Amino acid sequence: MAVTRKTGKKSSNTLVRDLVNVGIFGALYLVLSGLGASIGFIPMFIVVSTCAVSLVTSVPLFLFFSKVERPLLCCELLCMLFGVVMVFSGHGISYGLLCVLYGVLAGLCLKLFHKNFVGCLLANVMISFVPSSMMIPLWSSTEEYLAYCSSVCDSAYIAHLAELSSSYWPLIGLFGFGAAGAVVGGFIARRVMKKHFERIGLAK
Amino acid sequence: MIFTAPLVYSLLMVVVASILLLFEGKWKFVCTFFFVYLSAGFFFGQVKNLDIGTSGTIILASLFLMYRIMPACAVLYYVITTTKVNEFLACMSRMHISNKVTIPLIVMIRFFPTVFDESRAIGNAMRMRGIRLFSLRTLKNPVSFLEYRLVPLLVSITKIGDELSIAAVTRGLSTDTKRTCVAKIGFRWADAVVWAYCIAVVLFYVIPGLTGNLPSL
Repeated sequence: MAVTRKTGKKSSNTLVRDLVNVGIFGALYLVLSGLGASIGFIPMFIVVSTCAVSLVTSVPLFLFFSKVERPLLCCELLCMLFGVVMVFSGHGISYGLLCVLYGVLAGLCLKLFHKNFVGCLLANVMISFVPSSMMIPLWSSTEEYLAYCSSVCDSAYIAHLAELSSSYWPLIGLFGFGAAGAVVGGFIARRVMKKHFERIGLAK
Repeated sequence: MIFTAPLVYSLLMVVVASILLLFEGKWKFVCTFFFVYLSAGFFFGQVKNLDIGTSGTIILASLFLMYRIMPACAVLYYVITTTKVNEFLACMSRMHISNKVTIPLIVMIRFFPTVFDESRAIGNAMRMRGIRLFSLRTLKNPVSFLEYRLVPLLVSITKIGDELSIAAVTRGLSTDTKRTCVAKIGFRWADAVVWAYCIAVVLFYVIPGLTGNLPSL
């Protein structure tokens, strides 16, 4: 239950707790999504890598959703911080703006569904679009992206990327696999939350 | 994208980070950093010319991360080790950045080493119990490995987070009240010199880039 004063506003102490949770789970999300996305260096797993990221990050995200009192602000800040880190590491500003949009959508899902399982699942799906959007430049500015990748990867990987960019189905697959991973991860997260976190009182 | 900038600009920025770290007495870090950075750059050039398939891509990507992102990591290391949390918060509030952005940012930056330490400790504990990444038990049930590693990490991180929140509120951290700081915060001549140098490097990249005369290195 949120702590409310006579004015009906939530306490600023819970705001500080929410902001600290955003920082902590933001750091955890960055680390886990990096680990999950590393599977994308194997060419045949490029499209499926978003599924791995969503699966790995579902449990921490569900725990995060259960702990925050202000879901819209916290989801927006979480995605914004992730976007800022990605912009500073070389992704375009448009990617940062997309991250903020996904954060707002995730927060709205939580707020509209009062943080029940359906709301958390939808928010998880929205946040799963964040890593999926990283490869949009492969289709929007193909030559520049392939030129950048050619400085990192070998020619076989570049050829595989060029083959993927010839059609929009792999892009749909990226988002689809990410969403599927978020849904499956959501069910796993609910089971883990009931088995571990709710029992010891860490989650509501 | 910034990674398409030639190596010479990365080296010019590395000089700034190294001088700042040397002024703080972190010469061991600077020596290790240069050794790893130059080795990664050398091996990156060598491995890129070999065509060894998927393993080559993984090695190339790791070396790329090391030698392109390390200068930024060196500057981040300088910021984290030399800037106190209260001074950082005072700077951000002087720049009129909301505490709602600053508090998660500082917690996130300070929390990265904690995540790695906790993960290492949990990994050691699981290894003592025979739960390894490539053990027979894990191969039979890979989801349980995720549960064994992730759940204790989340429990410990959540407890640390709750204690951190209580400590922060006890010390008067709030989004409503404006903070004061004992240390003098301000822009001085040393900051102006570093800033002018960085702007010069950026102009040195942008101006030739507009005319198409970027250096090849």
